[in-house]
Amino acid sequence: MAQYLPILVMTVLAVLFAAGSFIASGILAPKRSTAAKRSPYECGIVPSSEPVERFPIRFYLVAMIFIIFDIEVIFLYPWAVIFRQLSNFGLVEMVIFAATVFVSFLYLVSNGALTWGPKRKALPIQDDVEPELLQTTTPAA
Amino acid sequence: MGSDPLLSHGISLAVVLIIVLKVLVAFVVLMVSVLLMIWFERKVISDMQNRIGPNRAGPWGILQTLADGIKLFFKEDLIPERSDRFVFKLAPYLSTIPAFLTFTLVPLGGVVKIFGHTTELQVVDPPIGILFLLAMSTISVYGVMLAGWSSGSKYPLIGSVRASAQMISYEAAMGLSIASVVLVTGSLSTRDMVNAQAGYFFHIFPKWNLVQLGLVPFLVFVIAITAELNRPPFDLVEAEQELVGGFHTEYSSIRFALFFLAEFMNTITMSAIIVTLFLGGPSGPDPRFLHWLWPVLWFVVKTIAFLFFYVWLRAALPRLRYDQLMDLGWKVLIPISLAWILVVAGMQINRLLGFGILVLSLASAVLLYRAMDVGDALNDASDVGLAPTATSGFPSAIAIPAAPGLKIVTRPPVGESSTSGGN
Repeated sequence: MAQYLPILVMTVLAVLFAAGSFIASGILAPKRSTAAKRSPYECGIVPSSEPVERFPIRFYLVAMIFIIFDIEVIFLYPWAVIFRQLSNFGLVEMVIFAATVFVSFLYLVSNGALTWGPKRKALPIQDDVEPELLQTTTPAA
Repeated sequence: MGSDPLLSHGISLAVVLIIVLKVLVAFVVLMVSVLLMIWFERKVISDMQNRIGPNRAGPWGILQTLADGIKLFFKEDLIPERSDRFVFKLAPYLSTIPAFLTFTLVPLGGVVKIFGHTTELQVVDPPIGILFLLAMSTISVYGVMLAGWSSGSKYPLIGSVRASAQMISYEAAMGLSIASVVLVTGSLSTRDMVNAQAGYFFHIFPKWNLVQLGLVPFLVFVIAITAELNRPPFDLVEAEQELVGGFHTEYSSIRFALFFLAEFMNTITMSAIIVTLFLGGPSGPDPRFLHWLWPVLWFVVKTIAFLFFYVWLRAALPRLRYDQLMDLGWKVLIPISLAWILVVAGMQINRLLGFGILVLSLASAVLLYRAMDVGDALNDASDVGLAPTATSGFPSAIAIPAAPGLKIVTRPPVGESSTSGGN
């Protein structure tokens, strides 16, 4: 474990640095907090709804799919380190493993689990709408 | 396997002192290079945009960053009332400490003798090496995610959810491209990776992994790193036009400075890691005098080239859209790097086998293309623009759990109260 000693020293130094900065800032900085300063920043508008909003399910799906690939990466590392000893056997095993993961990936992609984009076929813009749009976007000045 | 000769023969007081010295030097080097990097970025960007840039503090404005840093110490440290105070204070640590620790892995030069002890010019060379890098980059995702979540505000929350999805997406591609370097090295130690790249093809071309692995892992790694660092063109995390400052909107004073510091430290460290993994680290021509200096010099030159490249990207490229970002990560970089590592493995055994796997991967690419088409068609057919809700039964959105310490402050709503944002 002696090899990891410098990491420990660096961790201690980094923690000290961060904590020291906070302490220094605590001493040097003014403390004149007001309700307006403490409220969540929303570009000057008083917040009217809670920040806990509903989020697209996409983000959760990505996190779950990431785990599949991360596990694959984790299996790849020990395999890569001793690849020369394993030789042909290792290669065949890994191709089979990668193919299995790839098939599940194909399933996910074909199910639209990783499709983020807007619909490709947008409705055609009607001609009578356009002048109206132009009118509203023309600056008054 | 990697091991620093300094630490292989037991630990005495002298060894501990040398370790502390090395850590201190690395710390100071990192801090000074961050100061210079921020100045360098501002100066180069200004030049590319026909501006002058910082030019007041010190010669050529070189002390501008220092002045900004000192100013931030004197700024009021605000904690928003809706925040989860403990996590809010913890998040800057989670961002900064991994940034410092990653730098310790980088081999800065060759092997030297200090006070009669032989040691490598790098802070630490553990046998797990590059795995430590992956671990640290994952922990820094926690820093970003918790910072946004604990702020109790809308923009940081959206920014941090975007950031964590982006960072974990590109982490898989990054891990796969590093794995191909591990494959040709046969070791996880960064020092072994550098040593494995010594020598020349045909006595001219250096035997860097850049050439040896056929450019693809290098390109994937550079793109993945740019996204991992949230640097332009992948800076959707802090897209100013829509999210104010992203996950650190609510941070002020020195807490903000620490996030900023961590970001630039990561940029520098990752440029150094690119050099280590693909460009032979400190290797280069050595004109027979000042033997210890030249590797360090070559290393610095290569790293600065990449730092310039990042600044250049920022000046040249517009920001990606979120769906483009995700498509690039999942449907291009991950499949390519996965196929390429198998091709490299095949080539290691036998050329014919390698080409066989290459053909196989091209066939799978066609399959993937077809799958993408089917997925997009499902998306187009569904009612909600986002998800294939109508067809496969996913709910299109679910709520994020509130921070436990969240105090719900009721304020008199301005005008008519509206709970639905509408945008």
